[in-house]
Amino acid sequence: MRREDYLRNPVEHMKLDAPLTVDQLMQQFARSGSFGAGRLSTACKIFEGMLRDKDCTVFLAVSGAVVPAGLRMLIGNLIRRRLIDVLVCTGASMVHDAIEAVGGRHYKGSWVKDDRELYKYHIFRIYDVLVPEEAYVRLDYRLSDIYGEIALERKGEALSSREFAWELGKRLNDESSILRAAYEADTPIFMPAVRDSEFGFIHWLHSSQRNVKAVLNVDAFKEVPELCSICSQSPKNGMIVLGGGVPRNAVQSSVLASKKGLDYAVVVTMDRPETGGLSGSTLEETISWGKMKGEADNVMVIGDIMIVFPLMTASVIERLGPDFSRVPVMSKFWRSQK
Amino acid sequence: MKRRTNLKRFCGNCDGHNSYDYPSRVFCSTRHWQGKDPIVDTLWNCDDWNQVSQECYCVREAEKARDSHKQK
Repeated sequence: MRREDYLRNPVEHMKLDAPLTVDQLMQQFARSGSFGAGRLSTACKIFEGMLRDKDCTVFLAVSGAVVPAGLRMLIGNLIRRRLIDVLVCTGASMVHDAIEAVGGRHYKGSWVKDDRELYKYHIFRIYDVLVPEEAYVRLDYRLSDIYGEIALERKGEALSSREFAWELGKRLNDESSILRAAYEADTPIFMPAVRDSEFGFIHWLHSSQRNVKAVLNVDAFKEVPELCSICSQSPKNGMIVLGGGVPRNAVQSSVLASKKGLDYAVVVTMDRPETGGLSGSTLEETISWGKMKGEADNVMVIGDIMIVFPLMTASVIERLGPDFSRVPVMSKFWRSQK
Repeated sequence: MKRRTNLKRFCGNCDGHNSYDYPSRVFCSTRHWQGKDPIVDTLWNCDDWNQVSQECYCVREAEKARDSHKQK
C-alpha cells in the first residue's frame, strides 16, 4: 500500500447535540470508525447485509445467561420477524426461557450479595440476576411429566436436540417464549450441549421414577447431519455469536463440515484469544480452519452482550424499516416434522 | 465445619427437599421418585427423613409463617 492509502479516511468526531435515534448514534459511531464504536457500527452493517442478502441463512449462536438478563423477548422477536433463521444455544438458555414460560421469574439483584444467605433462602445468583429455587423446581416438576409425554408419543424414538426443543415449544403456552416462537415460526433450535443443563438433570428425575412408563431419549449425534444439511443447502451462511463456547463451535464446525465456510460473521464477546479457547478466538483464526471464507464480512466486537446486541438489533431494525420482510432462503428446503 | 445433629425432624431440614411454595411447602425428590405426591408441608416429616448437609432457613421461615398465621 502507498502512504496516502493509509490516510484516506479521517476520523469524524461525534456530534451529540440533538436527540438521536439508536441508528443515528450508530451512524455517528461509523463516522468515528474507531475502537469499540467502529466495531459496533461494522457489526450493524454486517447484520444488515446478512438480512438483505436473499441467499443467506442467519445463525444466531448464544451462550451465557443472556435470557435471564433480559434478552428473552428480543430473541423471540427476532425469530418471529424472521430476522434469524437458526438458533444454536446452550441448554441452559432454553431452561431459562422455559422457567419463565411456566410462570417463574428472574429478579434484578446485585453481584455484592451474601451468597451464604442466598443459599439459606434457596435463591440462586447469576452475577447480578437472582432466581428463586422454586422457579427451577416448578419447571423440573412440569418437565418430568412433559418428558414422559414425549417419550410415550415418540415410542422410544431418539430425538435430536432440535426435535426436543420443538416438542418443548409445542407444549409451552407462552407467546414471549423463545421455544414457543421457534415452534410457531418453524425455526430450528439446536442445543449441542443439552445434557449440560437442567434439561439433563431433569432427565435423571424423570427416568429414575419408580412408575415411569417411558423414558425420553435424546441422541446427541442426531442433530449433526440436520445442522450440516442446513449449512450445505444454504447458498450462503452468516453467523452472529453472543459469547461463544459450544454454540459458536457447533455453527462454525457445521459450516466447515459442509464445505461452505461462513460468508458473514459477527462475534460479540469479552473473552480473550490467548487461552486458546474458542470463545475468545479471533475470526482470523477461524479463516485458518476454513470455517470462514477469507473474503467474508466479519467483525469481532469486544463488549458486554447486554449492551452491544440490543443496540445492534435496534439499529438494524430501524435501518430495515417497518415494511421490510424477509423469506428465509432455508424455507425452500427446510421443514420441521409436524 | 462440624455438622449439626440436633435439627428438628421436618421436611424443611431433610436432604430431599427443594423450595416449592416458599416457605410453607417443599418439593420432595424422594417422594417424586417413589411416585407419590412430591409437594409436602415444610413442617411435615416421614420415615425417609435424612438430615440436610447444609442448613437453610426453610424451617425457621415456615415456623414464622405458621405462627403469624395463628396470631391472625
